[in-house]
Amino acid sequence: MEERTEEGKYSNLILSLKVFFSNRTAVAGMVIFLAYVVDALIMQFDPRLLGVTNPNQFTYNFVNPVPQPPSSQYPLGTTYPGINLLQAILEAIRVDLGYSMLIVVGGAVIGAVVGILAAYVGGYLDELLMRFTDIFFSVPYLVLAIAVGFALGRSFTSMVIALIIVWWPIYARYTRSLTLSIKESVFVEAAKAAGASMVRIMFKHILPNTLPPVVVQISLDLGSVVGVFATLAFIGFIPNANTPELGYLASLGLNYVQSAPWTVIFPGLAITLFALSVNLMGDGLRDVIDPRRRS
Amino acid sequence: MIGAFNLKKYFPVRGGVVGTQYLKAVDNVTLTVRRGEVVGVVGESGSGKSTLGRMLIRLLEPTGGEILFDAPEEEMVKYREALESGDKESAEMISRKYSLLRKKGSELRKLRTRMSMVFQDPYSSLDPRFRILDVIMEPMISTGYLRGEEARKKALDLLEEVGLPRAFGNRYPHELSGGQRQRVAIARALSTDPELVILDEPTSALDVSVQAQILNLLKEFRRRKNITMVLITHNIAVVSYMADRVAVMYSGRLMEIGDKDDVLTRPKHPYTMALISSVPRPRPGEARKRIVLKGDPPNLLSPPRGCVFHPRCPMAFHECGWTAEEVAEDINYLVQGKYYNVFGDNVKVIPLQDKVKVEGANPESIKKVLEVERENIRSLTAVKEVTEDSLLIIHAFQEPKLYKESERRSVSCLLYR
Repeated sequence: MEERTEEGKYSNLILSLKVFFSNRTAVAGMVIFLAYVVDALIMQFDPRLLGVTNPNQFTYNFVNPVPQPPSSQYPLGTTYPGINLLQAILEAIRVDLGYSMLIVVGGAVIGAVVGILAAYVGGYLDELLMRFTDIFFSVPYLVLAIAVGFALGRSFTSMVIALIIVWWPIYARYTRSLTLSIKESVFVEAAKAAGASMVRIMFKHILPNTLPPVVVQISLDLGSVVGVFATLAFIGFIPNANTPELGYLASLGLNYVQSAPWTVIFPGLAITLFALSVNLMGDGLRDVIDPRRRS
Repeated sequence: MIGAFNLKKYFPVRGGVVGTQYLKAVDNVTLTVRRGEVVGVVGESGSGKSTLGRMLIRLLEPTGGEILFDAPEEEMVKYREALESGDKESAEMISRKYSLLRKKGSELRKLRTRMSMVFQDPYSSLDPRFRILDVIMEPMISTGYLRGEEARKKALDLLEEVGLPRAFGNRYPHELSGGQRQRVAIARALSTDPELVILDEPTSALDVSVQAQILNLLKEFRRRKNITMVLITHNIAVVSYMADRVAVMYSGRLMEIGDKDDVLTRPKHPYTMALISSVPRPRPGEARKRIVLKGDPPNLLSPPRGCVFHPRCPMAFHECGWTAEEVAEDINYLVQGKYYNVFGDNVKVIPLQDKVKVEGANPESIKKVLEVERENIRSLTAVKEVTEDSLLIIHAFQEPKLYKESERRSVSCLLYR
């Protein structure tokens, strides 16, 4: 009996893994994503493993500041002023990944709360909250982020806040639509009959049921947030000139792009590869939560 | 235990050319349930029986009417009499004391421990992300009936009582079969030791073999704990197995109510007769006198006037609520079809206010046709007289009420005035 219970407990998980691993591109995406995560963790906890002494800043070399092509000493070449590109990219991944996670998860949490409140309470609150999100939607996101960042000043915190403000409306709409269907389900009615309070129904019944699709959305968004974050850094929102960040790293080689294209290509590639990997992985996750694709 | 008085639920239907209309899901239903009794509510789909059940435990707010909870029998009778005689003062006094509809917030939450509901579909009534134990504990925790370890222990005991192993507590609903889930739903409904349980089609989503098990389980609980039940179902067999009394609903109204055996063996309302006659009986060879109703259940947005059942009723007569449109339609059908030879091409049937104008026809031949067809086409009984210029006057109608047919039996049909 006990054994059967255990088996039943994990059968769902096993099935999910099977569905995910049958999708090869998703697995490839996950491998790349995990490589980024591992790199970020190493940089955070023991950067010496990759021969980096201080992951919080670039190592300049003003003796030879002009970009060097890839060689055995610098596998990806160098960028101005004499920064080892491979090492710089490895350092920058930590910063980009960390802040992107913060932005997406922060946006998702705010959006989920707003969306559930709007849909569950309904009426005027729904109108109010959704028109409010529409306002945020109507402004081009980069412009909005620049405006907020400009108002708050140049710092990583203001950049994160600016991007969270850009990012939550998508999640608000998404969870609202999910909540609208979940709140009509019989188990919500049963919870009402059991005397559950509104808050309990919203956050114990509805929120966990909206979670799987939201997690997929988070994984898909991670790629674009890295891009936007890098874009802001590229156009100069970065507070400290010596911060390892992929977008800023790409901007360093801008003056040499004709003679030394690798200075821009490799940081850009790091961003693109990350966006690609999380998108592939997200597609795989979507298959996992879609009941029609699992049989 | 619980009594509904003139309970109404109108759902607004917006849009369309005509603006907001109201769908009368439940209209003027009066039903009292004694302590320890099982009342079966039967009716076809869309007859409002589920809506009634949901209003009884306040999952839906009634549009009108009153629900008295935990009122002594005499008070209910008094309240009903006060309503009938228009004695607002004493009605107000009783309703202030027992009204379920006036309870709010924590008071209502406290009452929720005393009543619960088992839903039709056990596949959707359990939160897929809750473990079975949490599902059963939910009513106890959200009403504050029991907490923590006590609630846990009670939930495990309940699992055993409904015939499931305790180990199931850690499972998720999708790992259980339909019958097992319904057992969990029953355990949840009983977790706060309620006095009243509303059962909304508790077996209709289950396999036939499992249905009997669930019914026996419910019966067992009823015997042991003396729980009052309102059993909503469309299955006459379930009612005859479980219930003490039966209420028959049609199109949002109560048609008939009485003791189970009485209603099932001697149906009084024409609708109940048709309903009962549709149940197959295990007597091979015996001829079944099946009453087959014509037409469809009425549109709840604009129900028939008078008795809602009259357009389909094989026994309807002149006062049942026939309208000029209904009469005109039937006459038109006869004139254009069966009696085409008599009337020819130039006859026009026009419904007017409580009159039907038949243009281009001889009043004498109309009278003759009415005489012959009256028995088959019930709407023709509503024609009071045919005037010289072929104007058919329609009888006045009467709205049926619940008429007391005997001590414990009421029928909402003019035949039993």
